[in-house]
Order: sequence, then C-alpha cells, then structure tokens
Amino acid sequence: MKTRILIVEDSPLVTDAFSVLFTEAGYDVDVAATVAQAVERGGERPVDVMLLDLTLPDGDGLEIMEALRKRACLPRATLAMTGHCDAASRRSCIEAGCADVLIKPIPIRELLRQIERHLA
Amino acid sequence: MSSADRLEPAALQGRIDHLEAQAREAQRTIDELNARDSLKTQFLSNISHDLRTPLAAIITHAEILREGMLGELTPRQRDSVAGIVSGGQQLLDMIDEILTYVRSASDQVTLVRTEFHITEVVDQVRILNQALAAKKHLTIERLNGDDLPPVYADRDKVKHVLGNLIGNAIKFTPDGGRIWIGFSRRGRDGEELVVEVGDNGRGIARDHYELVFREFAQVDASPSRPHHGTGLGLAIARKLVELHAGRIWLESELGKGSRFFFTLPLNPKLDQ
Repeated sequence: MKTRILIVEDSPLVTDAFSVLFTEAGYDVDVAATVAQAVERGGERPVDVMLLDLTLPDGDGLEIMEALRKRACLPRATLAMTGHCDAASRRSCIEAGCADVLIKPIPIRELLRQIERHLA
Repeated sequence: MSSADRLEPAALQGRIDHLEAQAREAQRTIDELNARDSLKTQFLSNISHDLRTPLAAIITHAEILREGMLGELTPRQRDSVAGIVSGGQQLLDMIDEILTYVRSASDQVTLVRTEFHITEVVDQVRILNQALAAKKHLTIERLNGDDLPPVYADRDKVKHVLGNLIGNAIKFTPDGGRIWIGFSRRGRDGEELVVEVGDNGRGIARDHYELVFREFAQVDASPSRPHHGTGLGLAIARKLVELHAGRIWLESELGKGSRFFFTLPLNPKLDQ
C-alpha cells in the first residue's frame, strides 16, 4: 500500500505544486485547506505523513495535532511548515508533537529526504 | 533686558498659549507620521507574505520539472527551468530581506543569545558565498580569530549581519578582487570584539557613509544602476548590530575599497 501524505495548506497554488510532487514521488496524496478539513481527513483513515502549515483560515495548525491526538489518530510523522520560525514557535511545534519544523519554501529534494527520514 | 523687551503679563500668557498650541500641533503631526509609518510597515509585511506564497509554488513546480519528475528534459530545457528556480530564489531572498526589515523596524525581533565562536559563523558564511564569489574570481579569506573567546550573541542574527556585509562586498568588488574578515578586541579589558569585513572594491564616498545604512537607500538609485536589490541589507545589519548594543560603521576610499566594522560583546566569563 502506498504511503499516505496529508498536505494541510490553505493556498491552492502550494497544494497543487505539492500534489504533483508527491504523486510523482509515489505517495497517496490528500489535501486539506482548513483545521476542520484536516481533522476530518486525518480521522477518516490513517495518515503516514502530515505536512502542516501553521497559519490556517480557521485557526492555528497545531490545533489539528490536539484534535487528532484525542481521536488517537495522529500521523506517524508531522512536519510543520512555516515562512518564519523563531525558537519559541519551534518549541511549541515540537511540544505539540511535530517531528520537525521546515522553513518554506523547502527545496524538493530536501523535503523528500526529510519525509523518508521521519518515516524510517 | 531693557524695559522695551519686557512683556506685560497678558502678552506673556498669550505667547505661552501660542507656544503650547504649536507644541500640541507638532505632537499631532508626530502621532500621525508614526501611525502612517506603522501602516507602511504593516503593508510591507502583508505584501511580502502574500508574494512569498505564489513564488514558493512557482519554485516548487520549476524544481519538479528540473529534476525530471515529469519526464526527461533536454539540456536546454533544463537550463531554462534552472533559470526559473534561481531567479525565483533570488526574488524570494529579497522578499525575506523586506520581512526581516519589517520585523526589526516594528520591534518584533528578539535576541536569543548563546555563547559561540564567531569564526565558525564566519567560515559558514564564507562557504555559503563561495560559489557567488567564484563567479567573479573573488577570494574571501579570514585573517585571524582562532584564539578568540566566544561571543555572547544571537548566532542567527550575527550570521545575517555577516551574510549581508559579505554579500555587499561581493556585489561591489570587481572581478578578481579580494574580500577579508578580520577581528580585533577593544575596551579596557578587551571585552568588545570588533569584526571587520573589508574589500578592495570601488569604495564609498565620505558623503555616502551615512546613506548606505539607511533603509531603501542606494548610492546609485537610478533605474540603470548596475547592482539591484532591496537597499535594505546594510540597514538590517545596522539594526541587528544595534539590538546587540553594538555599533556599525565604515571606512572607505573611493577606488581602493571599503572596510565595514561592527562590535559585539565577548563573553567575559569564558575569557580566562
């Protein structure tokens, strides 16, 4: 079975680009543009990797982690994505259960490498 | 004071009232200018953030093509797509520079100080800039610093300052030139580190010493100027140095080169 990746990001431009990338790289791709959608998608069936934008139209991306943890369906690895990250935001992401915080835009080779590393 | 200069109490009160009215008016103008400045800063922040997202998508699509994930490209197609990636990356760096400026201008930057050896950061920045320098056959050398105690500063911010100063030197030093980074100590007990980034480039006229550290200022601001950029690199360097309670300045001679200096506190505890 293919590795399932959930892209949580409110910009369709970015989700389109990532969908092409991960589909070509052999992943089963799903997308969510809001906190509510991400919680729904994440609860439907197990997610291996979640790429999580921290700023979403209906709330903070980290709320998704909390909601999925309550439903006992946290992804195997969650990588937070942000345009800017200081030490305090990084700490909140790691405390919320993210495996790492990536600064956007992430070169695609680096992104694929990070995902493989966290799934290993 | 002669009797002719002496004011009657009523006239004196009138003068005081007039001055107070002028002071209130001046304060209103200052408040209005501050409010407009905040609006400008907020606008820059929003527009920079909004520019970043589509640009990130363009770069990702171009990288997918360049990597041949959608089919093998011919060498010419690959070169062309690589041009989109590097142009996009350059634009992104400029947007990030504007965002850094906005954060520092609106006091959103806080320092995370740690002890570290500045030579490590200098060597990192040298390596990062090696490819750019090689294109112009420039050398970037570190003159000394192996015996320095650690500095107590924000490592990322210091790296940013060095990156901007070295980037600036690369931009304004002609092919085959030389860029160097050196250190000296000053203060009664040598508690302050002076970092020098020098080059033998075109130099800066004395009249422009202050201008180059000003936001959005470029010595040659004409549309045909040979070097483009946000004009924020040195202004950001100044802000980040000042956040460390340091100072930044330059010495230069036209046609011979420039030497930029900034100070950082050394960690006295470890300087035994």
